[in-house]
Amino acid sequence: MPRQNFWSGLVVSAFALLALTWIIPEYAGSNPLAQMPPELVPNIAAWVMLVCGAIVAVGGLVGLVRAGESPLTFAIDWRGVAWAAWPFAYVAVAVWLLTMVKLTWLGVPLIALLLVLLGERRWWLVAVCSTVPVAALYVLSVYLMRVGVV
Amino acid sequence: MDFTVLGGAIGEALTLQSFIGIGGGVLLGYMIGVIPGLSRSVAIAIAIPMTFYMSPYIAISFLIGLSKGTAAGSAVSAILLNAPGEASSAATALDGYPLAKSGKPKTALQVGLLASVFGDILATVILIFVAIPFARVALMFGPYEMAAILAFALVFIAGLSGGSLFKGLAAGGLGVLLATIGLDQQTGLPRLTFGVTELMDGLPLIAVAIGTLALSEMFVQSERLRLQRGTMSVKLEHRPDDRLRWPELRRLLPTMLRGTGIGTAVGALPGLGPSVGSFMSWGLAQKLSKTPERFGKGAPEGIAASESADNAVIPAALIPLFGLGIPGNVSAALLIGAFAIHGITVGPLLLRDDPEFLYSIFAGMILASLILLVIGWYGLRLFAQVTRVPPHVVIPVVIFFCLSGMLLQGYGTFGLIVLMAFAVIGYLMKKFGYSFVTFIVAFIITPMLELNLRQSIILSGGDWSVLLGRPIALVFIACTLVALLVLAWRTVRGAVGPAPAGD
Repeated sequence: MPRQNFWSGLVVSAFALLALTWIIPEYAGSNPLAQMPPELVPNIAAWVMLVCGAIVAVGGLVGLVRAGESPLTFAIDWRGVAWAAWPFAYVAVAVWLLTMVKLTWLGVPLIALLLVLLGERRWWLVAVCSTVPVAALYVLSVYLMRVGVV
Repeated sequence: MDFTVLGGAIGEALTLQSFIGIGGGVLLGYMIGVIPGLSRSVAIAIAIPMTFYMSPYIAISFLIGLSKGTAAGSAVSAILLNAPGEASSAATALDGYPLAKSGKPKTALQVGLLASVFGDILATVILIFVAIPFARVALMFGPYEMAAILAFALVFIAGLSGGSLFKGLAAGGLGVLLATIGLDQQTGLPRLTFGVTELMDGLPLIAVAIGTLALSEMFVQSERLRLQRGTMSVKLEHRPDDRLRWPELRRLLPTMLRGTGIGTAVGALPGLGPSVGSFMSWGLAQKLSKTPERFGKGAPEGIAASESADNAVIPAALIPLFGLGIPGNVSAALLIGAFAIHGITVGPLLLRDDPEFLYSIFAGMILASLILLVIGWYGLRLFAQVTRVPPHVVIPVVIFFCLSGMLLQGYGTFGLIVLMAFAVIGYLMKKFGYSFVTFIVAFIITPMLELNLRQSIILSGGDWSVLLGRPIALVFIACTLVALLVLAWRTVRGAVGPAPAGD
């Protein structure tokens, strides 16, 4: 936990610093005639993130020092990381495919393949679970909402 | 109270359309609640796009029915599986699962259901009698008071909805920062849009909510599948001695009443949430019991205490929502989004501008509780079967509905990219213990907070001494500072303990 706090606090602070030094001055806009400058609320939010992120990071560092550990570790469970990452990759690929194909057409293989990848081997369950939601979407979009096939 | 308006509201709640909408919401919520890992907020986030074609009253009642159904349904998996559908039902599992294992699963489920409905109906009645006077007072508030109350609610939620105040505030800060993306309300200039036209309207709320709550949760669940698979549900069998009898129910009534009181008080305070309510109620019931050693080993009082409090929190959390327009938890925050989608501004103005609508919702809530009782009582066997659905079957279907929710709103590829980005953010927040509840609430209330802050600055002309003439605003500013100090002290004290053994 202290290691996680240290790194996550550092990332939050770094992002807040980036927001304060570049993103907000460059993109938040400014209007000298506005009684409340448009960058005021984003600035307050970024300052809160910077201070809180720094406190979390320092707290993590203190915890690491007390436990006699280093912030860096090479004992990373790469299989665990891969297992956690592949669903993200799967959905990202699905999002890319959805730029070309409608979800109603892609839905059945999308659900069925994910079911198989997650370990389901009963064909009838794969068939039911992949077709019923797609049919429900079709009814919802075409007949109830009347927005056509999505 | 205008009785013509009240009569119209009750009439609207008793139409066939209303029965179908609310009943559908309760049934769907019950099914979702039974499945471990699918929480109330996930259910609401996914269901909001389904309400686009409904009338505002049916849509909101459907979502509230869904919310009530999930809370009651989560007790089923807690009792039969020892795997609560939601964190708030963990207290129910303490006594529910041992009672079910001892051969009385039906009794445990019936106690859970009746306690849920009892807590729910009573808290709804309290909501009706408290929210309306509350809203009348709130109508007198100006921008100073509203800005101060919103800031207080944000700090309170940040400190209480997660473990660390600083992580909560950092998450809240991110929510505020991202909510300012879009056209500035006063100057009309693009703000933090990076020249992307789609960002002129700001980040779509549905994409943020579904990504952070539902899609990210599916990624967390799929990660868990590596270590945890299969279900071990207790079977519901026909046994003549396994049912709840009136003398036993009568003995449980004081426990339910106390649980409802605790749940209502906890729900009305922003940030505490149903888990706090159910555990507090369970703890108090154990303390006041003449046989505290039975608790944790299958005491029906334990189930009654936690379930009545858990379900009382839902209507009670709507007290600040209807009274002040402030969401006390993430489900209430999502309801604000649903209200906005249907063109309704929730808060004290609703009482002034459209009282019939508000009363219709109250009547719909009572109806939802009664439908919950009928569905829960007669559907016990069916819902017991749902607990046997393995999580790996649920994940792909929910992911599909997350994607379809975005496309139904017409955001196309842009919406899907935002959805994916917020799924990553939500996953990281859950992984590293940053309060996603504070993030969502901050994201939703920032436009209101900024508007009130702007009006305050314009009205005061930059002279902060005007606050001296606004005692309510001053009280809330003082409360915010005190809450900050107390919660920061609590976080620091919690962090200073024995040296941790490492990650």
